Amino acid sequence: MQLHIATGSELPIYRQIMRQITDAIAGGRLRPGDKLTSQRDLAVQLVISPLTVKKAYDELEREGLIRTERGRGTFVAAGAPAIDRGEQLERLREMARRLLSRAHLSGVSLPDLLELIEEAEAELAAEREASRENPQPDDD
Amino acid sequence: MPIAEFNNIHRAYERGKNVLDGVSFSIEPGQVVGLVGRNGAGKTTLLRIAMGMLEAQQGSVDLFGLDPRDRPIEVKQRLGYVSEDQILSPVMRVEAIIDLHRSLFPTWDEAVAERLIDRFEIPRRAKIKNLSKGQARQVALLCAISHRPELLLLDEPAGGLDPAARREFLETSIRLLNETGSTILFSSHYMTDVERLADRIVMIHDGSVLIDTQLDELRENYSLALVPHETVSSREDLLGLTNCLGVRDRADAFHAIFQLEPEKASSLLEGVLGVRDTRCTRIALEEMFIELAGGQG
Repeated sequence: MQLHIATGSELPIYRQIMRQITDAIAGGRLRPGDKLTSQRDLAVQLVISPLTVKKAYDELEREGLIRTERGRGTFVAAGAPAIDRGEQLERLREMARRLLSRAHLSGVSLPDLLELIEEAEAELAAEREASRENPQPDDD
Repeated sequence: MPIAEFNNIHRAYERGKNVLDGVSFSIEPGQVVGLVGRNGAGKTTLLRIAMGMLEAQQGSVDLFGLDPRDRPIEVKQRLGYVSEDQILSPVMRVEAIIDLHRSLFPTWDEAVAERLIDRFEIPRRAKIKNLSKGQARQVALLCAISHRPELLLLDEPAGGLDPAARREFLETSIRLLNETGSTILFSSHYMTDVERLADRIVMIHDGSVLIDTQLDELRENYSLALVPHETVSSREDLLGLTNCLGVRDRADAFHAIFQLEPEKASSLLEGVLGVRDTRCTRIALEEMFIELAGGQG
């Protein structure tokens, strides 16, 4: 899959990479067993430090979304992430708190925020649907 | 052990006017450090002191555990250096310049040099004066890295290059990092280049190190607060807060930079100064630079 990054963003580059890969897995564009571009190749492709790519991959691996096999490469992990449910809920709670204070700072009310979440969910579902109808070939 | 250590470096060009007024930081192996600061902040001075081209009037530099003043040749043979205003003799041919560097550096790796000549497509027989600025810089880079230096010092390495040549220079640096995991200290005014290449930034301001942090930390743990003028009596109120790095009095509001996440900066402002619902946001490197180094105007 094709990744792209933006400099001048307040989102660190490693997080941009993590987000795109996570979204691709959630949206079904990347499936379990799919091979990811190697860290070195991705660094050259995106013209960013190999350390940044390593950080993104390490984090994704820690979250159980990808796994690296020595000498073979990095793949999308099979099945559910290796993190236990309690910890996952704790993480989600943390993210929810951030989201809420962010919304509060931006003057967005809770009902508006919930509506936003539902819209995002619909978008993701549509993406999943689309990729099920015409599976994308490997483009890396 | 750090590869490089700057200890309390002082340097003035005019008596009583220190360009560097106690700069200290160290670099660990494998780090890529972007050195940023305004024109005249002393970035070039610092890199020249590291190269042994200038002496610190107070303080010391330690490279590979050695004092460059005691062991200048040994230290230089383990360094690579490229600067914007570096001058390669215009009448020399590319191959003669490479021969010269090969003879100076015992660790010269011909395979590295050959690979770079091919990749850059530099004509060996050409004289420097007939190369483009970008090609000349590539020759300088080739000479600086073919002996596989343990530390690469780059002073505004892409300065004066057009965007395409700059990008090419950046790509070469990325490949170099891929192949050798080099340690690099580079100065640049191009914040996008810093974001792409560096994992850590050191910002020099008013003679000393104002920020020294991982680039990702900068984006995750720093914020800009826009504090309306009528809510505080002066900028000093804000500057007095812990974790406040700088305040600019702008037409729209006070712009305050905090070494805190936006949510925490917002609660600090409410808790200490009673200022509620301040707009606090994360901030990209370029804006951070302008907010901290820019004038009050």
